[in-house]
Amino acid sequence: MQILARQINVLDYALSSLWRRRMKNLSVLLVFTAVIFLVASFQMTTGALTRTAERVLENAPQITLQRMSAGRQVDIPPEYAARLSSIYGISRIVPRVWGYYFDEVTGANLTVMGLATDRMPMGDQLHLALASGSFPGPGSRGSVVLGRAVNDMVQARGSHLLSLFRNDLSMASFEISGVFADATDILTRDLVVMNIDDARDLFRIRGDRATDLCVYVTNPNEINTIARKIADLLPDTRVVTRPQILKTYRVVFGWRSGFGSICLLTALTAFIILAWDKASGLSQEEKREIAILKVLGWQTADILAVRFWESLLVSGISFLVGVTLAFIHVAFFDAALFRPIMVGWSVIFPPFHLVPEMTAQVVLLIFCLSVLPYLAATVIPAWHTASVPADSALSGA
Amino acid sequence: MLIELESVTKIYNQGRPNEVRALDAIDLRIGAETMVCLRGASGSGKSTLLSIIGCIFPPTSGRAAIAGRKLSRLPDRFLTLHRRRTIGFIFQRFNLLPELTVLDNITLPLLPLGVGPADRRARARELMERFGIIHRENFRAAQVSGGELQRVAIARALINDPPIILADEPTAHLDSRLSHVFMDLMAELRAAGKTIVITSHDPLVTEHPAIERIIDIRDGRIHAA
Ligand SMILES: Nc1ncnc2c1ncn2[C@@H]1O[C@H](COP(=O)(O)OP(=O)(O)OP(=O)(O)O)[C@@H](O)[C@H]1O
Ligand SMILES: [Mg+2]
Repeated sequence: MQILARQINVLDYALSSLWRRRMKNLSVLLVFTAVIFLVASFQMTTGALTRTAERVLENAPQITLQRMSAGRQVDIPPEYAARLSSIYGISRIVPRVWGYYFDEVTGANLTVMGLATDRMPMGDQLHLALASGSFPGPGSRGSVVLGRAVNDMVQARGSHLLSLFRNDLSMASFEISGVFADATDILTRDLVVMNIDDARDLFRIRGDRATDLCVYVTNPNEINTIARKIADLLPDTRVVTRPQILKTYRVVFGWRSGFGSICLLTALTAFIILAWDKASGLSQEEKREIAILKVLGWQTADILAVRFWESLLVSGISFLVGVTLAFIHVAFFDAALFRPIMVGWSVIFPPFHLVPEMTAQVVLLIFCLSVLPYLAATVIPAWHTASVPADSALSGA
Repeated sequence: MLIELESVTKIYNQGRPNEVRALDAIDLRIGAETMVCLRGASGSGKSTLLSIIGCIFPPTSGRAAIAGRKLSRLPDRFLTLHRRRTIGFIFQRFNLLPELTVLDNITLPLLPLGVGPADRRARARELMERFGIIHRENFRAAQVSGGELQRVAIARALINDPPIILADEPTAHLDSRLSHVFMDLMAELRAAGKTIVITSHDPLVTEHPAIERIIDIRDGRIHAA
């Protein structure tokens, strides 16, 4: 009981002492909040990118096959699929047509993907990735599902049809049957998904050919083994597995977030040094206060507890406000402040909408990198002062 | 004996080039309910001796027992515990915290004891009434006059009701009227049963009728009892 009453008194004193030095504490609070805001925003942004990519790729085929000739990609004839049937463990082979389409009017680059949805496993679940509408049915030609940016482009023209030109400049028009969800923005923004036969028609690819083959396996653990067998059997093909793609994404995002984190950690370190100097470098007045409290019968532990509560309040409030602001920044403003840093990204992905990820891990990491060092930086100097004999209050004039 | 020192020596910075022997083999016994003055020139060791009596640090060598407890080799934590039960300090410049109110200054020693706010206030008000500073209760210390500050400092020294009151050159920064007032207050406390030790070379203190004994210190040694 007495210990509790003592802690309440100490907390009480810490609060009034914070209030007495409110200008100083407020400035520390502002700087601290800003730093935590930056670090948390960055972590959430990169977390959101990685997670989105991973989630979207979950639906990607386990193995993708492309035929190469003279170092360039060429069409795959149907015999290739037939030759794979000798490999045990393949559950399904689905042809796919995809390519880039340059829109001369807007200067936009679209990714066109022709799918045989009826032949894909879980093809019936693809609509989960859509914000509205549905995928074109098996036989239904002439309709497309669009990424958000492409849809915006079509809407801006005041049209309900997507019109594309074939190589011979004849026009192909498509009805819009669905739009991809925001959460998949990072991969679907510039995407046009259509019936595989429509895509063959658009790119002038022969009726039975494809640009790649999607291979689905029975046992996901065997992806690598089967990929190797395919590469042996068809030496002129390039075999890409889903784990490889995932790894590439992780490397790209990981590198960027790692680089960014180092910059921000530098800022954080600078702040801590500043805090060490300002918040904790005890002024003459604070040293005098500590000496007086000691002579009056305060234990070193009581004096440290005052410092501890003060610092915990300042850094805790900064932490909560900083992390909350970061969440708002990423969720509602798409990390607008980071646009300049993310210039490199826009090459891979044009501006996209972010769904922030706030994992306990990230929050804990930021906590450990901000609140803990600040506590140390403020409590340790007080400990140095408080643990020497209290005679300075006596001898000092 | 309330205060017993036997061949007490205090050496600052022992073993280093700036070593100072501030007290040298001090023998001193002060009984309960007495008013004593430690007199000596600047640098003679008065403050150092008062610090040892006040349980701020133990002597370098020798034996010291204050209110029945031996100080030598006592860790800082226990010195502090003993100090806050036994000693009330009054400093030369009062050592109040200027930004705190009069009330908060007076109750500072009660916080680590876990005394609640209502109780703290009641105890402080009693002392403030007694010393005529109740109308300054919620003034910041920086806003009240020197004479009032002095009484705030005395109230703070008494808030724990310690048996021993120590005052280090309390009149050095007071005019003669306030010095008189201070000594009269000390005489009252002495009459109420406190033991009082004052360091000073101010005649207003040393010649005050309430002083029962003067101890002369020169170069860290006691000269006349
Ligand atoms: N913390 C310290 N470290 C080193 N030397 C000290 C310390 N405190 C006091 N001294 C030295 O010890 C000697 C006695 O000092 P003390 O303060 O006890 O004297 P005093 O009689 O109180 O003097 P004054 O009248 O100036 O207050 C002096 O030489 C002083 O310089
Ligand atoms: Mg002195």
